[in-house]
Amino acid sequence: MSDAAHSPSFLQEEIRRYHHFITLALWLAAITGVEIVLIFLPVPMAIILTVLCLLSAIKFFAVIMWFMHLIYDHRLLFWLFVTGLALAFATFTALLSLFAVERVDTKWFS
Amino acid sequence: MSHDSHHAPVASKLDLAPERSDLGLLRPDRKTGWADWLTTVDHKKIGIMYGAFAMLFFLVGGVEALAIRTQLARPDNDFVTARMYNQLFTMHGTTMIFLGVMPLSAAFFNFLVPLQIGARDVAFPRLNAFSLWTFVAGAFVLNSSWLFEFGHLAGWFNNFAWHKSLVYTDFAPANGWFSYAPLSGTVGQADAALHSPRFTGVGTDFWIIGIQILGIASLAASFNFICTIINMRAKGMTMMRLPVFTWMTLVTSVLIILAFPAITVALIELMFDRQFGANFFNPSAGGQPILWQHLFWIFGHPEVYILVLPAMGIVSEILPTFSGKALFGYPIIVFSGAVIGFLGFAVWSHHMFTTGLGAVPTAAFALLTMAIAVPTGVKIFNWLGTIWGGKIRFTPPMVLALGFIWMFMCGGFSGVMHSAAPADAQQQDSYFVIAHFHYVLLGGVLLGLMAGLYFWFPKIFGRMPNAGVAYLASGLVILGFNLAFGPMHYLGLAGQPRRTHTYHAGNGWETWNFVATIGAFILGIGVFLAFANLVWTAFKGKKCGSDPWGGRTLEWSLSSPVAEYNFAQSPVIAARDAYFEDKHGGRRIAYENDGGEAGVHMPSQSWMPLVAGFGFLMIGLGMPMLSMGVPHMGWLVIAGLTVMFIGIWLWALEGPGGYMLKTPAVGATPSQPAHQSATTH
Amino acid sequence: MSQVSEPAHAPTSTGIEHKKLIMWLFLASDCMFFGTLISTHLLYRKLYPTGFTDAEGHQRFIQNLFNIELTSFSTFILLMSSFLMALAVSAMHKGQIKSFRRNVLGVIFFGLIFLGCQVFEFTHFFHQGLTIQNSVFGSTFYVLTGTHGTHVAIGILWLILLYFYSFTGKLGGHVGALDVEVAGLYWHFVDIVWIIIFTAVYLVEYLGPSGFWGTGLPLTK
Repeated sequence: MSDAAHSPSFLQEEIRRYHHFITLALWLAAITGVEIVLIFLPVPMAIILTVLCLLSAIKFFAVIMWFMHLIYDHRLLFWLFVTGLALAFATFTALLSLFAVERVDTKWFS
Repeated sequence: MSHDSHHAPVASKLDLAPERSDLGLLRPDRKTGWADWLTTVDHKKIGIMYGAFAMLFFLVGGVEALAIRTQLARPDNDFVTARMYNQLFTMHGTTMIFLGVMPLSAAFFNFLVPLQIGARDVAFPRLNAFSLWTFVAGAFVLNSSWLFEFGHLAGWFNNFAWHKSLVYTDFAPANGWFSYAPLSGTVGQADAALHSPRFTGVGTDFWIIGIQILGIASLAASFNFICTIINMRAKGMTMMRLPVFTWMTLVTSVLIILAFPAITVALIELMFDRQFGANFFNPSAGGQPILWQHLFWIFGHPEVYILVLPAMGIVSEILPTFSGKALFGYPIIVFSGAVIGFLGFAVWSHHMFTTGLGAVPTAAFALLTMAIAVPTGVKIFNWLGTIWGGKIRFTPPMVLALGFIWMFMCGGFSGVMHSAAPADAQQQDSYFVIAHFHYVLLGGVLLGLMAGLYFWFPKIFGRMPNAGVAYLASGLVILGFNLAFGPMHYLGLAGQPRRTHTYHAGNGWETWNFVATIGAFILGIGVFLAFANLVWTAFKGKKCGSDPWGGRTLEWSLSSPVAEYNFAQSPVIAARDAYFEDKHGGRRIAYENDGGEAGVHMPSQSWMPLVAGFGFLMIGLGMPMLSMGVPHMGWLVIAGLTVMFIGIWLWALEGPGGYMLKTPAVGATPSQPAHQSATTH
Repeated sequence: MSQVSEPAHAPTSTGIEHKKLIMWLFLASDCMFFGTLISTHLLYRKLYPTGFTDAEGHQRFIQNLFNIELTSFSTFILLMSSFLMALAVSAMHKGQIKSFRRNVLGVIFFGLIFLGCQVFEFTHFFHQGLTIQNSVFGSTFYVLTGTHGTHVAIGILWLILLYFYSFTGKLGGHVGALDVEVAGLYWHFVDIVWIIIFTAVYLVEYLGPSGFWGTGLPLTK
């Protein structure tokens, strides 16, 4: 039970992480708040959209790196997950661009 | 119940004291006979069961194929009805892919991977048993559709209210193995019971839930194998020392975990369309049936490599063994396999050239498809490089492996022809396509898997298959196969369409269809003979030594059949082709005395994977019967979900358990020389 | 003596525990799973940008259907549950079982609030005339968010079982911490999927007068 995992340096590390988690939680809440305000601002859509994508990517990676310990764990885990993520992103970007609006019978949205 | 006695090493599991799991249930560790097979977590026994089920379903799928060929033997034939013909080709394709080739590959994964990497089991032994039983449940669900179909044709259901209210009465799947929407889906508005009008009967529902369950089985197995290969390699077994078969298992498993989710979601969407009146593929509500094609082939094209890569791995083990040479260009072969897998995700739309994707996507997918020929060609040249100048022994596995190279190349050539979109527009849905993928899947995959069976059977059962029968069967298979599928190239270019139950005389198709049918029967006899020889060998074959072929990889260093703990002492690997180097080279395998007096830790057997698998069987039978309108079937589905959940929950709660098994004293095993047994590092 | 087949104790080739590795493999696979669902939704939004037709035959805009305050609240709740989950895992690593129980109860509570919001949202949309049968949007929206909700529900069930299991005294040490960490990975993943859904399904509907998807197309009433 109580083995090397409970050594003082390990505990110190855990406490350091604990503070990271709290800081991160505050940031995540703040970013979500910014997102909600953003969508009502009279700024060109392209800009808002870019910022929104960026912000959710930041939130996404913050959670996987800190909450999910990828920054502390073996690098292999990071690359395994990123492989799945990148493949999904590439495949479905390709799929979305294969569907063109001009080719669809428009009576469905009139 | 003595807790201690369980932990004292025993010579055989039959000597164990009865032990209760954390739940207080008796662990089935001491079972023999049927109960032993049903509760086993031994990767070797699970592999044997996968193989046995796969061979059974190969024969089922083969009978379906022969019925198809009999129907097409002469023009305007009425051997089967058009509807039965549709069901036959659908179930033939589905059975061969999901119940024949994939589980036979899984049989090799299970049996070989731990042995080749120097491990005592897979990472999650009970999960492995769960994969097997879930596969069996899915296979049973798919094929039970035939029982309903025959029951319907025999009139057994005529008196039931639910049967009278059915609009469509086809009980076996009849949409082809890729079940294109909207044929498999719905049209029009949903009624009050949330059912939209459909185009097909409950056969499609059997197909949907059957494939879904098989997908879960494949996913669970693949997570397990990736984990095993990455994490359980013996000391010194670096990634670039892994046998090529293990490498191909890894690539295949990665393909499975990344490709199957697409079909899982597509099946969920189709199920929602059919059961709850959703509109994913319903054209009358704006759904796009073509989305089904995309999602299916995002899964379906990697699936092609899921089928072929294990066979390539097998051939990469057999050729060096019987050429007396190391595999030519090992890193390039491994790299090519990975590249094939990666590119496999980027070419799905080449199955859809005739749907009008637009010029740019079509060109892009055509180019990427042609690019796949490069790593495949690299592999073929490496195999030729391996046998070049070698001392070739024409044993049955070698004959089949050489057949693989030759036949697979033929299939590859017609594949490159398809990659040119303008040519593909002519070949789409013709017999030319049938010829192409049967050259790849039969000439490639089946020959490769048969080679593997004949190669490793002596290791699995310690008995040598009859060589004379094996040569005869190999000859019949290769002859019959070419006779059956060679003419289809011509038939396809001459315009014979795929999936058409008959044809009129006078198109010039009569002769070659007849020849193809004769070839199919020769092929059928050959496969049956090859399998019968193996089954006979398993029980009555002549006993053979542990290394009858002069093997190169680690599994040949073990006794035949392999002891339940695999390695009495964990090996420490010093080279690629570890066992060959150990026998003939300078770099010996060292053995860690890690078990020693305390024995080797064995995982406990369990009923829970079987229970969870049984839950899937209940869900799988309940869903289509719910769709038929049989009363109370919703409860069967809920009960099935409950059984599955309870199985998994109790499995988590019962604890892994385990016991210690005595192993022969250090140096006593014949293949582990005493002077090498001390730990060297 | 090593126990090669017992996942938690055995030294592995990479030093990564089997359970953690298999969970990450599952999550990589789940990326493709949710990728398929989300792209199904997005491509139908791209094809049919202006919304859906309700049971009375009225054209409805999705922007008017959504309640961004409610969704933002449930997004915030899920993010905070993720935070508590990280604290629960941290507590297990430190061997503080009581702190683990407190935090995991918080996760369960927040998870249930999220599910409650979703149930409310579904009922509300249903009364507004959006059903799974009457439009493609209804099908993709309910199935996508419903599948995510099912993931949340499975996570809650898992955590409840872990919570009660902790009272048997068997949840502890390295194995116990690992079991909680693996459940935590699953929970965090469900959270990050929602981060994507929140942006791709909800927020983009608010951009511009006729919604992001209506850009460049004539608006019909």
